[in-house]
Amino acid sequence: MLRKDLRLELRSGESTLALLALSMLVLVVLVFALDAARVRSFEVAAGALWVAMVFAGMLGANRALLAERDNGAIRGLLLSPLDPGTLYAAKLAAALIFMTVAEVGAVILMVLFFNLEFDASIARLAPILALGAIGFSALATLLSAITGRTRGGDMLLPILAVPIFVPALIAGVKASAAALAGVPLDSMGQWLKIMVAFDVLFVTAGYLLFEHVVGED
Amino acid sequence: MENLGYLFAAYSIIFVVIFLYVVFIWRRQAALDAELRTLEARMAALTDETAASTSGDSQSDA
Amino acid sequence: MNSFAIRNGLGYVTLALMIAALFMVFDYVPPEAEQGIAQLIFYFHVPLAWVAFASFGIVAIAGIFYLWLGDQLWDDLGYAAAETGMVFCTLMIVAGSIWAKPIWGTWWTWDSRLTTTFILWLMYVGYLMLRASADDTPQVARFGAVIGIVAALDVPIVIASVRLWRTIHPAVLVTKQGGHGLEDPRMVATLLVCLAAFTAFWAWLLMLRFSQLRTRTRLGALAVRIAFADAALSDSK
Repeated sequence: MLRKDLRLELRSGESTLALLALSMLVLVVLVFALDAARVRSFEVAAGALWVAMVFAGMLGANRALLAERDNGAIRGLLLSPLDPGTLYAAKLAAALIFMTVAEVGAVILMVLFFNLEFDASIARLAPILALGAIGFSALATLLSAITGRTRGGDMLLPILAVPIFVPALIAGVKASAAALAGVPLDSMGQWLKIMVAFDVLFVTAGYLLFEHVVGED
Repeated sequence: MENLGYLFAAYSIIFVVIFLYVVFIWRRQAALDAELRTLEARMAALTDETAASTSGDSQSDA
Repeated sequence: MNSFAIRNGLGYVTLALMIAALFMVFDYVPPEAEQGIAQLIFYFHVPLAWVAFASFGIVAIAGIFYLWLGDQLWDDLGYAAAETGMVFCTLMIVAGSIWAKPIWGTWWTWDSRLTTTFILWLMYVGYLMLRASADDTPQVARFGAVIGIVAALDVPIVIASVRLWRTIHPAVLVTKQGGHGLEDPRMVATLLVCLAAFTAFWAWLLMLRFSQLRTRTRLGALAVRIAFADAALSDSK
C-alpha cells in the first residue's frame, strides 16, 4: 500500500524539479536581500537555508495535494480498505522524500552562495535538517489534507503552518548556525531536544488525527 | 504623570474593542431573531395547511 | 438554576469586579517607582494574556470532545472560545505594545512573552480564517477541531523554544515586565482582582456567544425539519 501511494506521488516528477528550482530562487533572492556576498555569516546562511526549505516545503505540499485532487485519487484512496493511520504514514514518507531532496539541493546552493566550505560542518547539519524535514513533513501532510479541501486552501496552508512550525524553525536555525560555526552536536542539546519533541508530537498527532481529516465530503 | 496619554490609550482601546465585539454579537442576534420569525411563520403556514387538508378529507368522506 | 440565570449572574459579577478593579488600579495601588504611571497597563496586560491562553485551551478541549462525541454543541463552544480568545489576545498585544512604547522606547520588542502571545494570535487567525473560508459543515468543524488540538499541543513547545531563544540571545531591551518585583502586597491584591475581573468578563462574553451559536444550530435543525414537513405535505397533495 505504501508503495502504491509512493508511486502516485513520485509520478509527479515535475514537482521535484519545481521544488529545487524554487529553493534556488528563494536563496538567490535572499543573497541580494541580505547582501550575503560581503561577509561570511553562519547565522545568515542558516537562516537563508531554512527560509528556502520552508517555502519549498509548503509549495511541495500544496502541489502534491493539487495533483491528487486532479487525478480524483483522493476518492480512490478513501474507498480503499487502508486505515487512515497507514495512509498518513505513506503520505508522510512521500513528503519526506521530497523534502530531503529539496534540502540537499538547498544545502549545496547555500555553501556556494554564502561563502561556506564543504567540510565537517555540513555533515553536522545533516541530523538537524533531518529532524526539521520530519517535523515539517509531518505537519504539512496533516495540514494540507485540511487546506486542500477548503476554499482558499493555498493561502491557508502558510497561515496555519508557520505559527505552528515556529519552535522547530527557531531550534533548527539556531542549531544549524551553530553547526556551521563548528559547535559539536552535543553542545546544542537543548535545541535538538525541542526538535525531537516537535517531531514526536506531530508524527503522533498526525497519525492519530488523520482519520478525522479524510472523512466524506 | 508623563505617560498618562499611553495609559489612557491602552485602556480606551480595550474598552472600544470589547464594545465592538458586543456590537458584533448584537447584530448576529438580530439576524437570528429574523430567522426565527421566518421559521415561525412557515410553521404556522404548515399547521394551517395540514389542518385544511385533513378537514378537507373528512368532508369528502361524508 | 438554568443557564440564563448563570449568564446574567455572571454579567453582574463581571460588572462588580470590573468596577472594583478600576478603582484599585486608579486609586489604590501605588505606581511603580521606575516606570511611572504607564506601568498600570500591566494590571490589564497580564490578565488579558492569561485569558487569551485559557481560551485557546478551551478551543482545543472542545475540539477533542467534538471529535470524540460528535455533538455540535462542542463545536459551538470551540468557535465561541476562538472568537472571544482572539478578541482578548488582540487586546493583549495592543496593550503590550502601548506599554512598550513609553517604557522601552519602541513599539514592539521580541521578548519571550510578547513573541509567544503573537504566535498564539497567529494561531487564532489561522483557525478563524479556516472557519470563515469554508461553509459550516460538520467536516469543516472537524477540521477546526484538529487545528485547535494540534496548535494547542504546540503551544508548550513554542513557549519553551522562544524562552530558550531569548535567554541565549536576549532582546536588545531587557524586559522588566512580568510577575517579578511585585513587592507591595497592594500590587498583588490589585493584580488578583484584575485577573478575576477579566476572567469573569471573558467567561461572560464566552457564554453569550456560545448560547448564540447554540441558538443558531437549533434554528438550523428546525429549518431542516420544517423543510421536510413542507416537502412531505406537498408530496401528499
